[in-house]
Amino acid sequence: MPIRKKLGRIIFSLLALLWLSGCWDQKEVEEQAYVIGIGIDKAEDQENRVKITYLISNPEAGATAQGGGSGEQPREIISFVADEFISSTNLANSVIAKQITYDLLRMIAVSEEFARDEQFIRWIYDATKAMEIKRDIKFLVTKEDTATFFQTNNPILETRPHEYFEKILNTGFNNGTIPKSELNQFFRITEADADLFLGIYSSSEKERRQQSGEDPHQITAGEFQFEGETNTTQFIGSAVFKEGQMIDSLTIEETRLAILLNPTLKPGFFLGTLPDPFDETYRIVIRVENNGPLKVDMKLKSGTPNIDVIVPLTIEVLSNHSMTDYPKDAEKRNKLKKSIQESLTKKIEDLIRKTQEEYKTEPFGWSLIARKKFSTLSEWENFDWMKTYPDMNTNVSVQIKLGKFGRQSDLPRIEEIRD
Amino acid sequence: MEQSKQLIGIKEYVAIALLMIGTKLTDDTPSIIFENVKNAGWMTPIINGLIAIIPIYFLMKVVTNYKSKNLAEVTDHLFGKFFSFLILLLLLAVGLSAVIIDTAIYTDIIGTMYFSKTPTIIIYGILMFVCAYGASRGFEQIGSVAWIVFPYLQGSLLLALILTIGQGNTAFLFPLFGPGTWEVVKESSLKLSIYADFLYLFLFYPYIKNSKVFKKGTWLSFILIVINMSISMACYVFLFDYQSIMQLNYPYHEVIRTITFGFMINMEALFLPFWLIASFVRFSIYLYVIAILFGHLFKIKHFEYLIPSLATSIVFLGMIPESPTFAIFNLRENLILIVSPLFFFLPCLMWLVAKLKGEYKNANKKKVG
Repeated sequence: MPIRKKLGRIIFSLLALLWLSGCWDQKEVEEQAYVIGIGIDKAEDQENRVKITYLISNPEAGATAQGGGSGEQPREIISFVADEFISSTNLANSVIAKQITYDLLRMIAVSEEFARDEQFIRWIYDATKAMEIKRDIKFLVTKEDTATFFQTNNPILETRPHEYFEKILNTGFNNGTIPKSELNQFFRITEADADLFLGIYSSSEKERRQQSGEDPHQITAGEFQFEGETNTTQFIGSAVFKEGQMIDSLTIEETRLAILLNPTLKPGFFLGTLPDPFDETYRIVIRVENNGPLKVDMKLKSGTPNIDVIVPLTIEVLSNHSMTDYPKDAEKRNKLKKSIQESLTKKIEDLIRKTQEEYKTEPFGWSLIARKKFSTLSEWENFDWMKTYPDMNTNVSVQIKLGKFGRQSDLPRIEEIRD
Repeated sequence: MEQSKQLIGIKEYVAIALLMIGTKLTDDTPSIIFENVKNAGWMTPIINGLIAIIPIYFLMKVVTNYKSKNLAEVTDHLFGKFFSFLILLLLLAVGLSAVIIDTAIYTDIIGTMYFSKTPTIIIYGILMFVCAYGASRGFEQIGSVAWIVFPYLQGSLLLALILTIGQGNTAFLFPLFGPGTWEVVKESSLKLSIYADFLYLFLFYPYIKNSKVFKKGTWLSFILIVINMSISMACYVFLFDYQSIMQLNYPYHEVIRTITFGFMINMEALFLPFWLIASFVRFSIYLYVIAILFGHLFKIKHFEYLIPSLATSIVFLGMIPESPTFAIFNLRENLILIVSPLFFFLPCLMWLVAKLKGEYKNANKKKVG
């Protein structure tokens, strides 16, 4: 008897759940227009308004289980001026037939112009108000207007936008070309008011000008020159936010170093190039991987604050255009090691100096380590990380362990071939 | 309805206690604590726990001294009719307002976080209907349901916390003492009443198998609740950092909306049903508590029949406040502050009176005789 009663209770509770899912909030998948990305731009000539762009995905497009094979487009884009992006769903619904919903929203894009605006922070906080917007969505900055960005973006193979964005942003983060950039981080860092936030930087327009400098990794969005039959959108580097306002952008290389120097991120490996110590005309390809956790040691209490950073790295050298004889010559390997160490240390020091002098604070999440040195919040707030960081002494030491030299470690001597 | 005199064992009792009090970590109790204690909020449950040992210990001494008398009957016995009536009336008022405020909060959570278009009265009505049904089935039924669902609820909480730790950052806990050691202790002790529900647990004493089970069960659930609360609050800080968490209304619900599990996004769909069931059981217990007290005060023998009408009046009272997220938050904060001294001093007073009346000696003599 008790078992039947228990069963009855469980069935009853389950039934109650069904009722709670209710008629009012009932949503038919077929009757929803799923917004995958929201774009926010400044509205022209209207100070207190914004231009909203919706990227709406068509889940039916390209599905293998499609009956009848309709030729529907994979996406729909609509841009219009509105007060904010909460009530704007209703406006958009005067054009779009299905009920617009943010349930599957995966990203918020902001044009660089708007991100650099002081007023920007007022609008982005709407995302914490809207019921359906979650905090784990991506946050990206586009070089041009987001309306142009979404319209120009036309992936050839991954035509369904939700799939495309998920893939490209993941790949970019794994390669270290873009930061992770979730909305939650943006709010957290802005509210903690100590570090810089790095957002994904992207552009759908190639810049006309020639690539600057010799290092192809010193570029940001829009500067990658390529030809062929593909999409023009590129996700490169990061947008730097200080106190909820964009102040600058970082190149691929700087983004990678920033990820590398951030103890809270667990970077995979990434590829880069450095000048060849044996022949200045060539560059060597290196595969950089963390070799153990980053050590950040801080002395904050007495005198000038001091930060010692030890970056343990495993480096694999994957190209050898100077055709140097590394396998048999330990001395040459030492020279190589030293040269890599020097150039990486210099790059890191340059970046740290840039953050100290230009940005006045850092994007590495170091304030979180500094917090451990204080026992109360008021001590920490009085210390004022943003004020003290620019004057700190920083010592970077890169510890390098040479790994493999590519799949085949030895190469023929160029002198022997060309004799 | 006298059939509910069947006694319940330790599993059911612990499950009831945990669902009744532990569920608090999923509503706005954490926000109330974080507001003053900031990132040291995870210490509050521990500090309060240490303080709460005193009243619970005294109460345990007093109540277990009498066989099969619940808290209300013991109060009658100790203080005499008139004072006991006043004390119990106060307890009833506190309990009733707690239920009204809490159900209003839970309705608000469901309304703002999940079912934004459904009218509040419908959500509230269904919530209270289910709970009233649960409560009117009797204590022993509530106990078995609590025990059946408890492992799943604890499991889902554990999963949520593990995912949170994986995606959070432990550095957010620092500076370790938040606003300062003294501040933490002071602000925590003012919010002692997060454990005040233990007072009401003593109303269930006659329903528990024996006093050993009751003692063991109370202390066991007490320890589990402290651990659960403390770890969950630390996890909230891991994910959001203290500045952000102070701005959140319902941290648990933001957590389950933020965490992802591999390719699975929108995890709240998984956690919501568990949480709903926990809420149903929680308020069933509360309704039952209120009914016991009400029945005792006004000499209504079959107090189970009161439950539906109590539930109905709760719905209408709970609907009154305007913009509930703020109004109820303030009400609740005040209630917590008011109840804290009551929770601390009432058991001490009871123990003292019992001591002065020489109740312990009598009991010992009785046993000897």
